[in-house]
Amino acid sequence: MARVSGRLRAIAPLAPALLLLQLWARPSNAEEPPQADPKAQKSETPDRFSVSGRSETYVQLYRRALVPGQNGQVVPTEVALPVHEYLFANARDVDAPWQKDSIGLEFAAWGRYWPTDSSMERPFDGDVQTASIRLDAGPAWTRIGRQQVAGGAARYARFDGIMVGARHLGLFVEGYAGFTVLPRWNAQPGYHQLGSAEDTLLVYHPAAPLRGNHWLAGGRLGYQTSHVSGSVSFHDEQINAGVDRRNLGLDVGAQPLEQASLGASALLELDSMRFASARLWLDTTPHPLLNVGAEVFHAEPALLLSRQSVLSVFSTDGYDELGGTVTAKVLRWLRLDTNGFVEAYHGTGPGARGELAARVATGEDYPTILRVAYSRVIAPQNGYQALRVSFSRKLSRRIGTTLEAYGYFYDMPVAGYTTSSVYAGTASYQPIDALEFLWSASVAQSPYAAHDAQTMLRVSYQFDAAAKPRFR
Amino acid sequence: MNLRLRALVLWIAVALAAVAACRSESAPPRFPHQLHLAGMACGTPGKPACLSCVSCHDVATHDSGQRMPGAALCARCHRDTHQVQAVLAVAPVRLSGEITIDHDKHLAMPEIRGQCVPCHSGVVDAKQPSLPPMSQCFSCHEHSEQWAHAQCTPCHEPEKLRRTMPSTFLKHDTAFLRHHGSVMAERQQAQLCQSCHTQAQCQSCHDVTQDLTVEKRRPEQIESGQVHRGDFMVRHAIEARSQPARCLSCHTVQTCDACHAARGVSANVANPANPHPPEWIGTNTSSSNFHGTAARRDIVACAGCHEAGPATNCIRCHKVGGYGGNPHPRGWKSARGVDAEMCRYCHD
Repeated sequence: MARVSGRLRAIAPLAPALLLLQLWARPSNAEEPPQADPKAQKSETPDRFSVSGRSETYVQLYRRALVPGQNGQVVPTEVALPVHEYLFANARDVDAPWQKDSIGLEFAAWGRYWPTDSSMERPFDGDVQTASIRLDAGPAWTRIGRQQVAGGAARYARFDGIMVGARHLGLFVEGYAGFTVLPRWNAQPGYHQLGSAEDTLLVYHPAAPLRGNHWLAGGRLGYQTSHVSGSVSFHDEQINAGVDRRNLGLDVGAQPLEQASLGASALLELDSMRFASARLWLDTTPHPLLNVGAEVFHAEPALLLSRQSVLSVFSTDGYDELGGTVTAKVLRWLRLDTNGFVEAYHGTGPGARGELAARVATGEDYPTILRVAYSRVIAPQNGYQALRVSFSRKLSRRIGTTLEAYGYFYDMPVAGYTTSSVYAGTASYQPIDALEFLWSASVAQSPYAAHDAQTMLRVSYQFDAAAKPRFR
Repeated sequence: MNLRLRALVLWIAVALAAVAACRSESAPPRFPHQLHLAGMACGTPGKPACLSCVSCHDVATHDSGQRMPGAALCARCHRDTHQVQAVLAVAPVRLSGEITIDHDKHLAMPEIRGQCVPCHSGVVDAKQPSLPPMSQCFSCHEHSEQWAHAQCTPCHEPEKLRRTMPSTFLKHDTAFLRHHGSVMAERQQAQLCQSCHTQAQCQSCHDVTQDLTVEKRRPEQIESGQVHRGDFMVRHAIEARSQPARCLSCHTVQTCDACHAARGVSANVANPANPHPPEWIGTNTSSSNFHGTAARRDIVACAGCHEAGPATNCIRCHKVGGYGGNPHPRGWKSARGVDAEMCRYCHD
């Protein structure tokens, strides 16, 4: 408990600052252009808002073997018929008493029903992914609830808490704090399976996490114009035993020419004071039909592990990657996509990866697309060549189909096999704009399964309601 | 016929079928604008009145659905209702949804002088799109204020942008996918990206605690750069070794272990299946199979099975005084002292 209190004290100084930021950002103090007379404005620019909801229901059918059979070993299999439901809702530009178009809401959750016998899954499962409300006031905004922070020092983190931000003359500042959204109880082995088959195998049972010991806080200070943007960010994430991640991030970008943009990013791990990753990239369009990108990337993967991982202090080796992408619209209906990257691993030989793809598209309103891609990956110990053929055709406004074939040829056998192939297809039908049925199926042959067949039905329902937009 | 040859034959068949299907594709007919505007005898006695754009399109209306003519209007001249319906059915589709535009205001501008064709060049040139691309708008408008505030919504309706990606700036091409996190970080977090995207869309890929991966949920998106499509289960070890840091963009090493433990290939289960080659452990440190070399190069791969915090079996040998020796690499340092909680497991 003492530890929890100590950490709460660490967060506490942020709270007044966040509140002050929000108060400072009240409309009366805002630096926004003066508003027109409200009555006149109302007659010229009627209200706008949007509310949307979406439901996606998935029904899958397949048979699986949890433990791959080796050398032809027959393994127990089980039939799975999971039903998933995803729900999304969001509202934008809802009026608040203090300002028009200043409230946004977002909600996303999923649930699962597993009707067949399973050694791993529970009959019912689910999670709330996002549940947040955003309030705008002049140049400032606040978001409260389950949300995420992405990019920069945070990389990607979900938390239950508050994020505030404000902008002024191109400068922007953001801060956030909250309790980390922990992996769901059945996403880690050990403390959560509650007697499942896996738990009986485990020799390591970590203590159940205390929610109060998992928190994060951070902020970002940046500058943004139409041609230059950049930010410095800080992220501190704590877990049971102490610091999980403590990073400083730098992200800059510029568009000096209409045809060129470049950027750089770096992530400094503050415990070891080493760069966990750094990236420099350039994207150009020397000709309207040609896009060329180049990139240099460096990473020390051990620094991306938790600071509470013993393994994180066992290595400082990293790797460098250099490569680029080229996209050329050779003909109106033909586009070539290529990319190639060379990796230099510290201590071992180089690796490489690349892809050459041709995309054929015909038809404007109901396009037919054919894409053929060849890939090559050379990695330590093994590599592969892959050929992928993808085909998509919109038969009408309401009916669409796709067909795909993948083949992999491994340099070294995997479980005694050197090839695998996957064939997949979908068919969709939209009886009305808001409703879509999609059926998909796949058949595969791989080192892990002589024949793998799966099928899925997806039913999506989209609800939209929006006020007529501005500029009337 | 062996497996490789059989797969090759199947692929060729699929490719040929696809090419055949492409060849049979014919573009939907376009409305013969030029014929109506300049190809008909009109305006003389006995002939119909000459047509202009506004004869059929009510550009003054703000309801986009009302801008297109209905069958009744066509029926004033055309009696074949089936043909009329067929032609009206091929109205151009704007994938990004309707643009909020004040046609009256634009047509009154001196640069435009009431001319529709400079923006809608497709009505006279079949090679051009019927509806202008966004770059056409930006050729006159800088929209600097909207750009500064990263607002797409004054012109675009957010819900109509759901299936559209930028094509003229912030182009979401292959390179963009690689550095989209940085692009997001250097700008206002809640502005530019969230003009179009919700957080739930980020989580479609990044939230690995959800049950269904994005590849399962969006099988029809054959052109998106989804990492786990195809037979990823078999090649995941190769991909992880090829780019050791990339998996950590979304996954923690616990994700690896959760799966490996369930399949009995983890240091955290009793009697695990041993995936390591001969001489992995032992005194022959010069062996190419020696675990220390592999661990230095790709410690994340080790963590996939051996991550157990201070309970990892690595420190049984590598703790201070153990026969495994000092595991810290040359140049390693930490801001923490050896009395830090985690360090004490080896340095006590």
